[in-house]
Amino acid sequence: MFARISAVVGYLPAGSLANSDLAALYPDWSEDKILRKTGIRERHIAKADETAADMATQAANRLFATGNTQREAIDFLIFCTQAPDYFLPTSACMIQHRLGLKTTCGAVDINLGCSGYVYGLALAKGLIESGSASRVLLLTADTYSKFIHPLDKSVRTLFGDGATATVVEGVQADRAQIGPFVFGTDGGGAENLIVRTGGLRHPRTAESARERADSSGNVRTDDNLFMDGPAIMTFTLATVPKAVAQLMAAAGTTLEETDLVILHQANAYMLEALRKKMNIPREKFIVHLENIGNTVSSTIPFALEGELSPEREGRGRRKAMLVGFGVGYSWAGTYVTI
Amino acid sequence: MEAFYVGLAEILEIEASKVSSELNLTELAWDSLAVISTIALVDDQFSVMLDGKALAQCQRVADIEALIAKEKAR
Repeated sequence: MFARISAVVGYLPAGSLANSDLAALYPDWSEDKILRKTGIRERHIAKADETAADMATQAANRLFATGNTQREAIDFLIFCTQAPDYFLPTSACMIQHRLGLKTTCGAVDINLGCSGYVYGLALAKGLIESGSASRVLLLTADTYSKFIHPLDKSVRTLFGDGATATVVEGVQADRAQIGPFVFGTDGGGAENLIVRTGGLRHPRTAESARERADSSGNVRTDDNLFMDGPAIMTFTLATVPKAVAQLMAAAGTTLEETDLVILHQANAYMLEALRKKMNIPREKFIVHLENIGNTVSSTIPFALEGELSPEREGRGRRKAMLVGFGVGYSWAGTYVTI
Repeated sequence: MEAFYVGLAEILEIEASKVSSELNLTELAWDSLAVISTIALVDDQFSVMLDGKALAQCQRVADIEALIAKEKAR
């Protein structure tokens, strides 16, 4: 029995934030410059009362509406988010109830950002191939828009809200359909991508809500998302090519034998820097962020959804490399057959 | 240096002919996005990784070139 991805469905909230909206706020950045630099035209934004768990529920309901997966068949739920509804209970427990999944279903949250989908796949594979579960629903959702100061162009131009639902199930096959995996963690980078307050370490206070402008003219408070863009670029360029080399060695394969490369869709300048550094041919390299932005743990499954479209049915299976990296720092890579 | 100057010109959104060691960055859009893009450019051209904070403090192109030379000598 091997674990395999059998379906991926995304959900985007109705609200949108276009480059023209942003250019009106940031005098130094034209609409055209934002598109050229970030590769993003539009981001979707959750409503004030719409949470990550709401969006994940929507994505899952859409997946069930396709008729290819039955609710009763799900025996494990994994929800990846950094924006839970409550400290407790676990969002996945509430989602189990809202989706009407059976009560013999296991449910856990995992708190990871851009690496989260690949970690979720690793957990799902472990559950299935150890015989502990037969059909895992892996949900990803985040609402970074709720953390972002409207006048912080360093992050507001990049991040969009969104959710995805993936079914991982056990199938009879002659070889693994997911894996091998490589993982990595460097908590030394924690400060470089962070929402500092709101947890138990630093409660929100009047002082933490004080607005400050940085040297690039971006405004934020300690309650907002902070990203040290240069530090993240350095981390990424140093780490991702090594992780990719490790992954190909572990899989006993090469870039030539890889059909698709799907990296976390951070932004166009980072993707292009990585593509050049690793000499990945453009035709294998998926760029899927123009109309959704960087949706954190949902970027890889949104890109996969596009590759699993019905038009591709019957065109043969392909080997796709998936690599997530970011907040933590945390990273992970794997191969999936789709 | 040629390809480096062309890359810098793209990042700063000016003509490549205007880039020289003496070019004053403080009068241009030398913001965090420019710094991020320059980290990638320098890694691509010279295979060294510059520190973002040091790079952000550069006032002229010569200062970037000095950082590259220092990293290469390490």
